[in-house]
Amino acid sequence: MNNTSQFHPDETMLLEFSAGTLATAPSICVSAHLHFCSKCRTSLLRLDQVGAQLMSEAKPLELEDHAFDTVMANLDSSKKAPAETENKRTSYPFSVSKLMKNNLVSQTWKRLSASVDVARFETGQNEFEVALHKICAGGKTPKHDHHGLEYTVVLKGSFSDENAVYREGDFLVREPGDVHQPMGAQNGECICLSALSAPIKLTNPFGFLMKPWLRINPM
Amino acid sequence: MSMHNLETQTPATPRINGDRVAVFKSTEKRSDQWSQLLISVGETHDRQAFAKLFKHFGPLLKGFAHASRNEGWFPGLGDDLVQEVMIKVWNKAGGYNAEKASATTWIYTVARNCRIDMLRRKSNTQHLPLENEDFWHEPDEETPISLLQQKRSEDKVQSSLAQLPKEQDEILRKVYLEGKSHAEASAELGLPLGTVKSRVRLALQKMQVIVSTEAQE
Repeated sequence: MNNTSQFHPDETMLLEFSAGTLATAPSICVSAHLHFCSKCRTSLLRLDQVGAQLMSEAKPLELEDHAFDTVMANLDSSKKAPAETENKRTSYPFSVSKLMKNNLVSQTWKRLSASVDVARFETGQNEFEVALHKICAGGKTPKHDHHGLEYTVVLKGSFSDENAVYREGDFLVREPGDVHQPMGAQNGECICLSALSAPIKLTNPFGFLMKPWLRINPM
Repeated sequence: MSMHNLETQTPATPRINGDRVAVFKSTEKRSDQWSQLLISVGETHDRQAFAKLFKHFGPLLKGFAHASRNEGWFPGLGDDLVQEVMIKVWNKAGGYNAEKASATTWIYTVARNCRIDMLRRKSNTQHLPLENEDFWHEPDEETPISLLQQKRSEDKVQSSLAQLPKEQDEILRKVYLEGKSHAEASAELGLPLGTVKSRVRLALQKMQVIVSTEAQE
């Protein structure tokens, strides 16, 4: 789970993540990448130091008189922190596991094409469609280009396109206008997390068949 | 319990048993006051240590809340944030790992997550299946870099942050304190997004924050 990634989020994106100003959908993807990448985790630790330093330089404001007593009164009655989840060694990032649980992913897989299944996530926002894609071993996906931005993180297995092979933890950004045709690895299925900001436009001659399933359709 | 009549209490020093490893480890302990206090809260639910943390961080947290310029902001945010963050600090202090982060950094991350979630709850009518905290569950691991390296990088961040050119400093403050995205910062400052990002990159370079991902394993 360490340093397997060759493709990382841009540093400005990590900074937005550290400051908490990155939108929900890309944040899910960054958190998924961090699960696999110790280098980016270290960078993030330092970015948090920047935030901490800036916070400690913020203008301190006087508290209400009873603020301390109110907190003290609430300490014992307040809910005990849930025991650290035993999620740490599972293969999926925590945020993704939680989404899978909430969305009953096992029941929502839908056939997208002969070799691709999709399960869409409800994430409480409409800017991006967040989904898992499962490409079967050796499966070819339809050639498509993007109207919007797409972030992809490989969660399991690997896939390749014209440019490279992408393995667990790799973080990819597709800009509008990029055309690609991902292919699953021969040796096993590949599962990717993706966040897509606008509908995909199919470029193969039979594309119109796919269109209804590829439409953005947050559940 | 009042803030005023607390005895001054020295945080417990780690016991050294003469073992070489233990001695070596003891020199690697975090010695700053706030981290020691946070450790005491975590280990023994030390209320006096907690009171000192509250006195120091409470007003900073309120300042941090008021710096926010986000949608969903409301006048009571500051006091609410102080309450919520400090209760979390109490409850979660047991999981604080001093080798990984200073107390200030750790409390910042709690405050950041709380602030975002409070604002989102205010401005959003949709059900939100994830809290910001959910993005920050990291796999259990050996601390990737030693405490000594951590401290060096903290010092580096602190000293170089103070020397950043105004135009870089301004953007970092907008993003971290006001809670603006780069796109929002660019709109507000009337600068192209590319300029905002390149200023951020320059600042990060100076602070030596980003671990190079170029090198192959």
